[in-house]
Amino acid sequence: MASNSVSSTVPMPSQAAPWLRRLAVTVLAVVASACVTINIYFPAAAAEKAADRIIDEVWQLREGAAAETPAAQGDSK
Amino acid sequence: MSSPPELSRRGTVCRGRQLILFLLSAAVLWSLAPAAAVDRLALRLGDLASPMLALQRLSLEYESGAAVLRVDRLRLGQRQWRDLALRCSHATLTFDAVHCGAARLSVAGRVLPLVAELELAGDGRGELGLTFADGGRLGLTFEGGALRARADRLALDKLHAVLAGLDADIDTLFERFRPVATLDGELRWGADGNSPARVSIDVRLFDAGFGSADGLQAGESLELAISGTARALDDGWAWQGEVEWRHGAAYLHPLYLEAGPSVRAQGRLQGGVVVVERSEVALEGVGRLDASARVELDTAAVLELELELTNADLGVLGPRWIAPLIAPASADRMYFGGQLDGLLRLQDGVLAQIDARLEGAGFGFVGAAGGGGFALGPVGGTLAWHAGASTSSRLRIGGGQWERIALGSFELEASLDGRSLSLAPARLPVLDGALVIEHLTLAHTDAGWQGVGGVVIEPVSMPLLTEALEMPRMGGVLAASLPDVRVSPGEITLNGALVVSVFDGYLQATGLRLVEPFGVASHLSADIEGRRLDLSQLTDTFSFGSVTGFVDLSLAGLELLRWRPVAFDARISSSPGRYPRRISQRAVQNISALGGGGAMAAVQRSLLGIFDTFGYRELGLTCRLRAGVCMMDGVEGGARADGGFVIVRGGGVPALDVIGYNRRVNWNELVERLQRVMADNVSPELR
Amino acid sequence: MNLSMVLTRWCVLLCLALGGMSAVHAQGNLEIDTPAVSALRQSMQQRHAQLAPLYAAGAIGLAADGSVALRDASAIPLAQRAQANSLLAAENADRAALYREIARANGRPEWEADVRRTFAQRWIDRAQPGWYVQQGGNWVRK
Repeated sequence: MASNSVSSTVPMPSQAAPWLRRLAVTVLAVVASACVTINIYFPAAAAEKAADRIIDEVWQLREGAAAETPAAQGDSK
Repeated sequence: MSSPPELSRRGTVCRGRQLILFLLSAAVLWSLAPAAAVDRLALRLGDLASPMLALQRLSLEYESGAAVLRVDRLRLGQRQWRDLALRCSHATLTFDAVHCGAARLSVAGRVLPLVAELELAGDGRGELGLTFADGGRLGLTFEGGALRARADRLALDKLHAVLAGLDADIDTLFERFRPVATLDGELRWGADGNSPARVSIDVRLFDAGFGSADGLQAGESLELAISGTARALDDGWAWQGEVEWRHGAAYLHPLYLEAGPSVRAQGRLQGGVVVVERSEVALEGVGRLDASARVELDTAAVLELELELTNADLGVLGPRWIAPLIAPASADRMYFGGQLDGLLRLQDGVLAQIDARLEGAGFGFVGAAGGGGFALGPVGGTLAWHAGASTSSRLRIGGGQWERIALGSFELEASLDGRSLSLAPARLPVLDGALVIEHLTLAHTDAGWQGVGGVVIEPVSMPLLTEALEMPRMGGVLAASLPDVRVSPGEITLNGALVVSVFDGYLQATGLRLVEPFGVASHLSADIEGRRLDLSQLTDTFSFGSVTGFVDLSLAGLELLRWRPVAFDARISSSPGRYPRRISQRAVQNISALGGGGAMAAVQRSLLGIFDTFGYRELGLTCRLRAGVCMMDGVEGGARADGGFVIVRGGGVPALDVIGYNRRVNWNELVERLQRVMADNVSPELR
Repeated sequence: MNLSMVLTRWCVLLCLALGGMSAVHAQGNLEIDTPAVSALRQSMQQRHAQLAPLYAAGAIGLAADGSVALRDASAIPLAQRAQANSLLAAENADRAALYREIARANGRPEWEADVRRTFAQRWIDRAQPGWYVQQGGNWVRK
């Protein structure tokens, strides 16, 4: 159904009023950019959270973190 | 040995003598003067030059028992020092000798931390002794045109401290490798008559060590014995020598080496390049190692190196030399054996050629998570790799083992070109079938191996395979056609199908994917479909009681980590069609036990004791395994108002339903229960 | 029907098609609870007991590319340097597998580089005092 309506209106641009064309282009740009941004989005914040969870486990930072910190600060400058 | 190669032997002898005579004649002049009249003397002795040694503007000043000998410029070989002064606090000048004791040597105004002693005798003998603060001594003797240097517990770093700032190359070397060593021994330089100049050296370096700042090149408590001779040629030197590594250890990234090896070599030194024409290296685990090389002296750049190994023991060379270089991450999981002969050539510091011949060799790789791993042997044949050319290698492999499966003997023929490998069709016997590699090309990129191939598994009988895997014996055969195999770093996908005809039906695996094949997270994923599997055979095989009928199986998204399923969407359901459907009392008990304490209606339970088998209309079970939990369901549309789900829907006479109530079952518990049911044949407890 | 309406309709359709896919990633967590990831976490955690003293001694440090690098081998006894190098290679093999596996577990193998970058930053940010981290090509002691 959608494709029907589209194919019947494809020749429109050449006949459309300039303001209409400008508006159309603007809308297209805005919407397209919104689409594209969503599509290539890498969830950086979620990835950081995931990384932190793994680092906690690998370095075993959850427990004993409080006990470790003062000792570690002692011998670092 | 620091002399430049362009030194010419001509004139060395007579000029050496000239120096002594010149000094002596000066002394004679002075001593002939009336002693009382002179307590001050200044002599300008001019320049002296020989190919090895040059002194510019030599002068001597004497005043009441003290003397100063000055040299504006001293050149020894290629090295130069300016503004040298030897200040003697006790100087005696007699007719046939000059003696200068308790002297201080200064270079460019800097007084060196050592005490010097100089003696020049009328018979052409001269002696210079340098004593360092720590007692180390360096004695230089000129006699009859020969120079003899003797070191006695001479500390290399003390010597360098003295000479620091005098030579940029040596300073750089000391800065980079911070060498320490104590030196004992002798160096002789000289010639008789008109014969060519000769140098001989016989020294022992001990308490030695070195270390680059990053620690990637280092040696500790080293002891080396170095001996050798060199003869001057028209355009350089011909030398021969021996180095024996007697004590200590070294780390030359990524290799750890210990004392023991010794080298006997001979060669030339021409145009700043050391040529090792022939050398024999004695190394543990190697029958014979011959080496030749060309090394640029200034930069220590290896222009050419050729090593020829004969009769090497892979059991010794493998862990020490091969594993750290080719697979450091799994070095301790690899093992080697057998014999190797080979040739290795480096050109301009880059690997140019490897030719190896293996005999009775064996290679093994223990699985990352323990387990059977992988082993091949005995392996014989040749391996060749030449830079910029395509070579062919051929190996005969006597047999092998992968996990619990034995491999028969086979041949591999590969052509290597640069970083890529192409394998000729090969047939690896597996039990009574074979794994046929129809084609395989791999290229090594910076990210890892990449390539494509095609594999076929010729039918392997299931009784043999299940026996090898220590599984309950099953009939049927396994075969596969995987025409599109893709290898990428961290993943091998095998597009095609693997089919097992078993229990009168078949199982088909597609979408086979081996992920991180060599790491701890190595896992296999696949989609498996089973059609019309005979339940009576299946239940019999796994001692599960007895069920007649057929089932279809779907195991989508199966993931095996270390051969254990960790995820899948499984569905077992009665196959369509007309066939007898009976289920034994034991099977009912087992199924209900597997249902995670699934219960049956009390009425039905009482029936259990009366009949041995029951009729059923359909059976069905699904399990969605995620994170160690199996989410269960029964036959389609079998959900009950009380929250239960129908696993077996009764039909015929007598009929009974098996109903599960526990939808969340811990997978490990389930497997444990299943194993108990199969192994002990014990009736599971009914609740 | 005018052009802007047509275009808008197209875009809405396009967005719906793409949005269905990306919505999951836009707000959700990154999947790290797969068996392969836990096998790697466990392997790395076990190895950490051997790596920790090497970090503390400054022998190894956290590199800018999400790996662990040999910084100063001279802090390791000579006889153990080869072993430390082997340990490091094994850790880096696990890390590479971890980054690949996380991208894979989220159905986006092409995210591997992003995952690696994120981890590189977090390893460095969370390094303990005294450990060395690579910043702008140089080693910096935290």
